[in-house]
Formats: sequence, C-alpha cells, structure tokens
Amino acid sequence: MVISVSGLSRRFGSKIALDGVSLELSRGAVYGLVGANGAGKTTLIRHLLGLLRAETGAVRVLGLDPVQEPVAVLSRIGYLSEENDLPGWMTVDELLRYTRAFYPTWDDAYAAELQESFALDPGTRIRNLSKGEKARAGLLVALAHRPELLILDEPSSGLDPIARRDILGAVLRTIAHEGRTVLFSSHLLDEVEEVADHVTMISRGRIVLSGPLDDIKTAHRVDGRVPTLNEIFVATVGET
Amino acid sequence: MKSSSPPSARRSAPSSPAAAIAWEFQRRHRWGLLAIAAYLIVLAIVKLVVLARGQAVVFRSDESFAFAVIVPLDATLTYCLALFTYGLSGDLAGRPSMYPRRLFTLPASTAALAGWPMLYGSIAMILLWAAARTFVVWPSGFDIPVIWPAVAAAALLAWTQALTWMPYGLPGLRVILAVLWLGTLQSIVLLALRYEASEGVMLAILAPQLPLAFLVSRFAVARARRGVVPDWRGAFTWIGALARVRGRSANFATPERAQRWLEWRRHGRTLPALVAILLPFELALLFTTGGTPALVFIILLGVLLTPALMAAFVAATVRKPDLDGREAREDYGMAPFLATRPLSNRSLIAAKLAMSLWSTALAWALVIIAIPIALRLSQTWPVVIDRWHRTVALMGAARAAVIVVLIMAAFIAATWKQLVQTLCIGMTGRIWIVRASLVGTLAFLCVIGPLFDWIDSNSAVRAVLWNAAPLLLGALACVKLCAAAWVAVRLFRSRLLRDRTLVLGAAGWCVAVLALSAVLSWWIATELFPRYLFVYAAILAVPVVRLAAAPLALDWNRHR
Repeated sequence: MVISVSGLSRRFGSKIALDGVSLELSRGAVYGLVGANGAGKTTLIRHLLGLLRAETGAVRVLGLDPVQEPVAVLSRIGYLSEENDLPGWMTVDELLRYTRAFYPTWDDAYAAELQESFALDPGTRIRNLSKGEKARAGLLVALAHRPELLILDEPSSGLDPIARRDILGAVLRTIAHEGRTVLFSSHLLDEVEEVADHVTMISRGRIVLSGPLDDIKTAHRVDGRVPTLNEIFVATVGET
Repeated sequence: MKSSSPPSARRSAPSSPAAAIAWEFQRRHRWGLLAIAAYLIVLAIVKLVVLARGQAVVFRSDESFAFAVIVPLDATLTYCLALFTYGLSGDLAGRPSMYPRRLFTLPASTAALAGWPMLYGSIAMILLWAAARTFVVWPSGFDIPVIWPAVAAAALLAWTQALTWMPYGLPGLRVILAVLWLGTLQSIVLLALRYEASEGVMLAILAPQLPLAFLVSRFAVARARRGVVPDWRGAFTWIGALARVRGRSANFATPERAQRWLEWRRHGRTLPALVAILLPFELALLFTTGGTPALVFIILLGVLLTPALMAAFVAATVRKPDLDGREAREDYGMAPFLATRPLSNRSLIAAKLAMSLWSTALAWALVIIAIPIALRLSQTWPVVIDRWHRTVALMGAARAAVIVVLIMAAFIAATWKQLVQTLCIGMTGRIWIVRASLVGTLAFLCVIGPLFDWIDSNSAVRAVLWNAAPLLLGALACVKLCAAAWVAVRLFRSRLLRDRTLVLGAAGWCVAVLALSAVLSWWIATELFPRYLFVYAAILAVPVVRLAAAPLALDWNRHR
C-alpha cells in the first residue's frame, strides 16, 4: 500500500475535521479525493504529509510514519499545495536549483522538458508569474524528481482552462510511468471524473463513499442511466 | 422593512467605518488593552493608599522618576505603537505598506482609513499620559508638564503610523527611516527637557506634527490602496547579477547548503544592510565633536551598540518560519513549501544559525572597517590613541589588548545572540506564544526599573541582596541547568538531534562557560568576588536553553 490510514480523527477546537477516516491506496492508480469546501480533504492531505499529527488512528505513507520520518517520506513525494506558496523572490531557475538539492532522484532532462512545455522563463521571479504560471512552476518542482506518490491539493482551483489542462496532462503523464500513484483532491468533479480511477468522497470529516469510479457509477445507475460524478456527489453528500 | 439579522448581531454590528475600525482594535487586542487597564488600576490603587496615609509622592532623583514613570510608560507606549500601526501582523523589514490590505476594500475614504486609527491612537496616548500623570506622578516635588508629553506621545505614534504604512522601494528602508526620524523627534524632546522649555514652546513644536503626520499617512495609505510599491532594487541589480554569475554554474551539493542559501537570501543581508545604512549617519557625528573625548566615546559606544540593536529588529523576521513570497500571515505557521522540504528540523535550524553567524560577521566587518576610517577622517583618532596609551599605562599592553578584544567579542556575541535567542519562540508558530513573550518582556521592563530603583534607595535591602547574591545567582544557574537538562532529554527522546550533536553541543557549552568564567576571574581579579560567582555568571550568560529548544519548537510547529 502506498497510503494506509486507519481510524484517523482530528479536531480543531470543537470542530471535528476528520472522524475515524480509514483509507488504503495501492500503487499505480489515480485517486480522486472529492468533497465540499471544509469537508476535510486538506486536513487529510496534511496528515499524509506529516504536517499534522494523528490525534487518534495511524497514518503510513510508503510504509513509513510521515511525522517520525519526514525526510524519508517527503523525499519520495511530490506535492502541489492549494496555497501555492512558492517563494516570490526566487527566479524560476533558482527555484529549480534550490529544489533539486533535496531530491537524489531529480531528473534534469525531465525538468527541462517540463519547463519548456510550461513555457516558464528561467530568469523570471516567481512573484512576477501569473497564477497559472505559478501553478505550473509548483507542478514542475513536484514532478521533476519523479516521485513515487504525487499529491495535488486543489491544484486547479481558480486556474484558467489551459493551466488546468496542463495539470491534468501532467497527472496522466505521471501515471504513465509504472508504479506511480496520484492523489488528486478537488471539488471540480468533472476534472476528477476525467482522470481518476478511484474516487473517495469525504463529507464533514467522514468518508461517505470510496471505490473504483466505474463501480461507483454502476452502483448508482438509475433506470439504466449512468449518472455523472457530480450527480452522485450531490445525491451522496446531500443524504449525509 | 424589518432586518432579518438576529438581535445579538444587530446589537454588536459596527454601524460605521469608524466604529468598525474601533471594534477591530478592541476585539483583536482585548487582552493587551485589559493588561494596560489592569496596570493603570493597580497604579491608581497604590496611589490611593499612599495618599490615604498622608504621604507625598517624592522622587529622589531623575533616575527614580525615569524608573517609576518613563520605563513603564515606554513599555506601554511600545505596545500601543505596535497595536495602532497594525505592526503586530506585518513585515517590518518588507517593502509593501504594513496597512492591512483587507481594509482597502471597505467603503471608506482613504482619509478615514488613515485618520481613524490615528485618532484612536492619539486618544489612547493622551489617556495614557493623563492616567500616568494622575496615578503615578501627581502630586510630586517635580513640576510635571500637563499637556505636551501627551502631544509628544501622540505625535510619536502618528509618525510611526505614517512611516509604517508607507510602501518603500527597498527592504529595510522602513526601519532605517523610522529609527532616524523617530530618533530625531525624541532628541528634540530630550533637548527641550534638558533646557527646560516651557509648555507653550513644546506645544508649538509638537502640535503641528499631528496634521503633518496625518497628511503623510493619508498619502501612504492612498499609495498602498492603489497597490503602489516602488521598486528601487533595480539600482542594485548588478550585485544580484554578480552573485548569480558566481553561483549559477554549480548546483547545491547538499540540501543543507541549499537551505543555507535560502536563509541567507531571505534574512542574511538585512542586518549588514541596516548597519551599512546607519553607520555613515552615526559616524558623521564624530565630525561635530571638536575632539571632545566624552562625545567621541559616546558616539563610538552608540556605533558599537548598533548591530545588536538592529539585530533585535531583524530577529523578528528571522524567527518567522515563513516565506516572504506571500502576504505576511499572523499565525507564524510554517509555509507548506518549507514544511514539505525533505529536510530535518535540525538542518532547518542549523541553516538559520549559520546564516545568523555570517550575517553577524558581515555586519561587524563593516563596523570594524568603518570606525578607523571615520576616526581618521574626522581627526578624532588622537583622542582614541590617547585613551589607549592611558589604559596601557594603567594595566599594561597585554591586559589592555585582551580587554579590548573581549569587549569587541562581547558586542559581536551579543549581536548573534539577539538574532537567534528568540528562534524558539517564533519557531513554535503560535501567535499566542509570540504575543505572550512580548507582553512578558514589556512587563519585565515595567518591573525591572522600579525594582532597581527600590533596591538602590534601600541600603538594608542592598545589604541583604549582597549577602544573598551567591545564593540567588546559584539558584538562577540551577534553574537554567535544569531547563537545559529538560530540553536535552526532550531532544534525545525525540531524536531531533543526533547523539553526537547533543554531546558536542553540551561539551561546547561547557567549554564556553569555563572559558568565560576564567576570563572574568582574570579580568576582575579581586578578593571581593569568590571565583564560583564567575562560573554562575558565565552559566547565565552563555546561551543554551532557548537555542537548544529551537528544534523542539520547530518540530511542534511542523507536525501539529
């Protein structure tokens, strides 16, 4: 298992962010994590990255505890944050040089290829990039070390269709490499539907639906018609 | 038409921009404001008790007046400055205005956005002075002015707001201008005190400052509201180009080197830059001394204190585990970009410590180079040489040289200590800890002055303290050692530091303590002090607990 979460709960004050979440992700597939704003997607991802300690339950990523062994776990993960908080004062070139130092598996040729396909000028400062270009730069440094696990937290939120296409294309390219896994969090369900093999729906800190996308669609067929993920989401989350 | 909002919401909702701004100050800083109110109430009670006993409030000296009034007021004033400038949530060394951007979209005029905080701050200053004068000073043997100190405090606040809200073209320029301009204002007040200027003269000097500061503030907020942030860094691009030419060819060999580079680029150059900008102004004063030794040495002392003082400002940004690529946040939380680097907490802290060392070294290199040049050019060099010869005649060349080196080393160490000693607070990422430490520092400043004055004025207390000094110092040293042991155990159990690093760190600290106590024994060779007192002093002086706690604090922040 690439990710193994069992009985994970988390509170922020009186608010329950995660409530007994259990989840297992196997290698070589794209997992879509969907839910409304505030459902607990980012909290779950922050646990996977070791940024939050499990209050109850256990989290294992690539067989390791991300809080106890952050370096070993993080060096095998590519992560694109929803906040996209790249240091604005760095140039694209400096960002690549800086990030490269942390990953022994960094692939210079792949980084150059991505930089060219994303049309990122190496001399431009991050703060002078557009929102879409910043997302591409973040994706570049998340992908260029060919991570075993790619975690994207609302990567295309607020981006134009071209930037979203680039990100989805990168996800598809990533899974083309054997054995790589992608966890893709979004509330843009048509996007998730486009790339995900498995879908996990989360609502008010609980997993309400999880499984292969095709199985979920089949199970929710109404009068022989296969519903969209959007319709399934509304029906499922509306019920909880 | 009836409002649909609940009655409680209607009752508490501010009804105008002025009320909204006032409500925000009150709501966000209620604990600090309550602390100030509590302080004033305590003062009032003490005053009532003193007056009820029929005693007069008499200050024996200027120092006692300063300790009883100036220091607590300064501490409260500093808090109010931070509060009413929105300085607690911004980046002091950054280029953009520190005025909160969220307020720019309010349907309020720029004059209102600048004016209301200024008015509230001025009222607070005036009330503060009125309370202090009534509860602390009056009635006393001194002829205490009635109005102008309140106007002076309001002017100080208004100019701080104007300088804080102004966007600047260079990082750090805000600090420099604030230090220079506010220092000038304070100098005017001190000069007036020195020459016992009348209330009318003081008001004539100070009152026009308020509308002037308001105009500058309005201009600053208007620029910030339009998103104007001038960028003068283009004038220095050749430095960046040189650095890039030097460094572009090679990639970083290790993650640790990459992190040190990041820390240097984020914070390392700020202290040397601030020192480089202030030095010429300070050293220029040497040209005005006319060779008077006292003035020359006061100026030199000011120059030597500058790096440590500036380091205290720079430390506020160094300790933030954040990136400056995004808008300043209040929560001090670690930026996900940094938190998800595959780098241990130990290496993250080590990069900060290394950067602080280089930054200190560069700042002091500037000072050490600039002082002789300025002394030569101002023809005050003979004054220093003359003092050197007299010192050599008194204690011998070797001893004098060692003492000079030790004093310089102490200044340099103090600069580095200022940069790193609050890392353990900022690294926690908890704003309540940062604020609590600020309040604690202010409370300490409030108490320490009157306490010293009380000890100084009471010979019986002095005698008791003198006799108990070894015990007190020993107890403090024990407390520090216990805290150090606790931190060491936590570090060992958490495996945040390697065993070798822990042992080497402990050994290094012991060597530093022994060396310092040996130096103190040699320097202050007198029968008056037993040698173990120097060991206690060295234990208390050499930093260990807060430094060692920084990785723990970062771990607590990074894995919440």
